[in-house]
Amino acid sequence: MTYVALSAAFLGGALLVAAIAVVRVAVVAGAGALAAVARRWWLPALVAAAVVLLLTALFDNLMIAAGLMAYASKHLSGLHIARAPLEDFAYPVAALVLLPSLWSLFGALRLPAHTVSRLAAVSRPVSWINTAFPFAAAYYLSIREVDAVLVVGTVFFLVPYNLAMYGVNDVFDYESDLANPRKGGIEGAMLDRRLHRVTLVAAIAVCVPFVIALVLMGTPAAWAALAVSLFAVAAYSVPGLRFKERPFLDSATSSTHFVSPAVVGLALADAAWTPALVALLAAFFLWGVGSHAFGAVQDIVPDREGGIGSVATVMGARWTVRFAIAAWLAAGLLMLTTPWPGPLAGLLALPYIAIAMPYRSVGDERSASANRAWRRFIWLNYASGFLVTLILISYVIERPLS
Amino acid sequence: MSAIYLIVLLAALGCMVLLDHRFALVFWRRAGVATAVVVAGVVFLLAWDVFGIGLGIFARGENPYMTGILLAPQLPLEELFFLAFLCYLVMVLVTGADRVLEWLRGRS
Repeated sequence: MTYVALSAAFLGGALLVAAIAVVRVAVVAGAGALAAVARRWWLPALVAAAVVLLLTALFDNLMIAAGLMAYASKHLSGLHIARAPLEDFAYPVAALVLLPSLWSLFGALRLPAHTVSRLAAVSRPVSWINTAFPFAAAYYLSIREVDAVLVVGTVFFLVPYNLAMYGVNDVFDYESDLANPRKGGIEGAMLDRRLHRVTLVAAIAVCVPFVIALVLMGTPAAWAALAVSLFAVAAYSVPGLRFKERPFLDSATSSTHFVSPAVVGLALADAAWTPALVALLAAFFLWGVGSHAFGAVQDIVPDREGGIGSVATVMGARWTVRFAIAAWLAAGLLMLTTPWPGPLAGLLALPYIAIAMPYRSVGDERSASANRAWRRFIWLNYASGFLVTLILISYVIERPLS
Repeated sequence: MSAIYLIVLLAALGCMVLLDHRFALVFWRRAGVATAVVVAGVVFLLAWDVFGIGLGIFARGENPYMTGILLAPQLPLEELFFLAFLCYLVMVLVTGADRVLEWLRGRS
């Protein structure tokens, strides 16, 4: 692709945003208001354009002369302003079109000052790492270099993915969250009804550019993995599907939220699907299933009062704790089948089993007491994440990419 | 390797901040909106860079003025600050031109 085509594509994107901004003003405030905006801003925009293009002509030439960047001449149109390729001017032009349009769009949102921080809380910053790390580790271990896919994918699974997952969840969980005081703190954020619309819009808006980029950079296998991942994010809580209220499907879908980023990373890296890799992913999946089931135990009482189903409300506290222990044990045993240093990660199942064991016979009425173990579980995850990282590093050192 | 280019960019950004502060143009007009606009603009232009680099259209040049810290292959740390500066500059120019034109109209 030539520099002209690339610039045209991005200029087109900027113009599209501008068109949306214009249509919004016309629809919301009327044609008269649009004319007033145009009357007020055409001259400042023209002056700004003249100045920024003049500055670009001057400084782009200076930067090229200083050797800050280099161009592959075969991709250039050949038109230059002194030494600066004409295509470079598309950057300031696009910025001039895009930024004031965004100002108009974002400004119209009239977000209360705290909305952004509320949205950040909704995305559960303490959990960001739980989805970004599986992706980044899987991708990096497969290709052993830092590239654009790694950066884009990691950022996507760090914030936008979590905003979508927890935002959609909180919007559609509103009623049951009201009955559950635990959701207001570290483990969740109860979402004001007025923020529901902006949460859904923000979740989609921040995800779409990343998904488009990952689709452009990936193969059909990666598209499939990404589709499964995004489906699991939505299906967990959207009305009609509500997988979180279907026993067993709830734990499986929750586990998919954390395993699928790794699968997307492996698919993007075109990794070889060895039996050891499948065993590792199966172990990760079982760990996620067990963890979700155990997490549901503490909510049995409020969930039943809210009329919400889960593996724990249907099967009872005692059964579910034992199921979680069995899933963690199976995950640990699966890791024993992987090549060294994989079996070391199998040992990490033991502390999980240890924190759940005291609750193996807990009655449904006392199930809320499992929250104590859940708090330990959250910290244990950080410790295990650290140890898993050390194991992965030793794997990288011991097995250079052939 | 040196930090000259980075320091120049930071100084230019600092000048934008001074103008913004004095005349309430961008962040001192609506801080939340300005933050969202500049972040979105930088992400947009960074994506443009990443595609340009990935397609082999342009790359980092050989020069003694940059820190050598890379955000991704061929994408120097300085580019992030350059793009932030470009976005900030554009918004300061548009709102600043509006302010200047208003002032001129007021005098006549």
